[in-house]
Amino acid sequence: MSKRILYPLFQLGNPQLRIFRPTFNLTLVRPGREQPPDTVQFRIPMEMTKFDVRNYLEKIYSVPVAAVRTRIQYCSNKKRNHLNQRVKRPDYKVAYVQLAQQQTFQFPDIFPEKDKKNEEGSVEEMQEKFMEDERQRQKPDPRRGGVTEWFGL
Amino acid sequence: MAAAITSRLTTAICRQFQRFVTVSSHTQPQYATQALYKFHSCQQRQMYDSWWFRGAMNNRAIHTSCVRKGLEDFFDLPENWGELTVKSGAPWTAKQLRVKSNEDLHKLWYVLLKEKNMLLTLEQEGKRQCVQIPSPERLKKVEKSMTRLDTIVKEREDALRLLQTGQEKARPGAWRRNVFGKTFWYRFMEHPIPWHLNSRYKRRRFFEPSHVAPYTRLSLEKYLKNKMRKEKKEKRNQKKISAMFPKKTAHA
Repeated sequence: MSKRILYPLFQLGNPQLRIFRPTFNLTLVRPGREQPPDTVQFRIPMEMTKFDVRNYLEKIYSVPVAAVRTRIQYCSNKKRNHLNQRVKRPDYKVAYVQLAQQQTFQFPDIFPEKDKKNEEGSVEEMQEKFMEDERQRQKPDPRRGGVTEWFGL
Repeated sequence: MAAAITSRLTTAICRQFQRFVTVSSHTQPQYATQALYKFHSCQQRQMYDSWWFRGAMNNRAIHTSCVRKGLEDFFDLPENWGELTVKSGAPWTAKQLRVKSNEDLHKLWYVLLKEKNMLLTLEQEGKRQCVQIPSPERLKKVEKSMTRLDTIVKEREDALRLLQTGQEKARPGAWRRNVFGKTFWYRFMEHPIPWHLNSRYKRRRFFEPSHVAPYTRLSLEKYLKNKMRKEKKEKRNQKKISAMFPKKTAHA
């Protein structure tokens, strides 16, 4: 539904409340602990309920949801800043969503290592070349077969 | 539920998303291997179809009509993973949004919402891996676009309400004086019972007690004095400047 909104009062016989343009944001997170393969972990706003999560995923993302479990994570109010005032880390709600139809989900690696290709004539390229030359100079004589300079001859 | 899952897990290595769901068990292994190699089978995100950032900066020449489904929408296109920057256009301005129809705005809202979810996911993962995310300014752009969209929708609703009922405000209210003698706009809340049966409401006093009345007068005096002081100062300043630079010299 929405955050920071005053919902109209419900009394028996009222029509179904419909919120167009929900303001809830879901964040998919990598689970801290090992989860079953069909479980997806989300951080959701505090005002959201299990039914909200189910409807959100089914309607907006068309993800079939079998079960949703939520918990609230309390974050510390113990740390203090340079004025010795306590600084609160905001609490958040976590939802564990189990997918229906035997689907599985594995959190992917979003920051894979990519080879950086430096363009010609750039400063980084020259630096890289220089470092490479230095490393080559520092290497011992390959003809010695791995024996260090300490041994004479 | 758990038993059913574990029995199917032997065949499914990394079955991802719903488009593979309707096949029977004997075809599952081949689809499972496909899913291993390709995270997405559809090459294009539907939302990059000019619905995306205004002045769409995407270098996509071709679009497929496959609708992106499932949890893929929480992540960027796989080509952009690991990049240092991801190109994106300018945020939507209110002027551009005013031209759009209600259906278009409704669809755009969901496009922006999904993109915001994707960016939040990326941000959280970046924090987890202690890595900077590519182009963090996208999040602010999306937020600005969403707030502007909201403003436009509110404007339209206000106009409609004014025309139909003549009410200026959506939520009724009244000017009331609180216990401290200050006058403020009190916005009504909905209750199932009348106010004279509402004990918590009755404890909240909307009148100033008699011993507070002199302080109201004093605070009003303070406010007026301050205002007068500022105006006098401004006038004095102007006079001093005009004495320094008389008008005759300008036309000399």
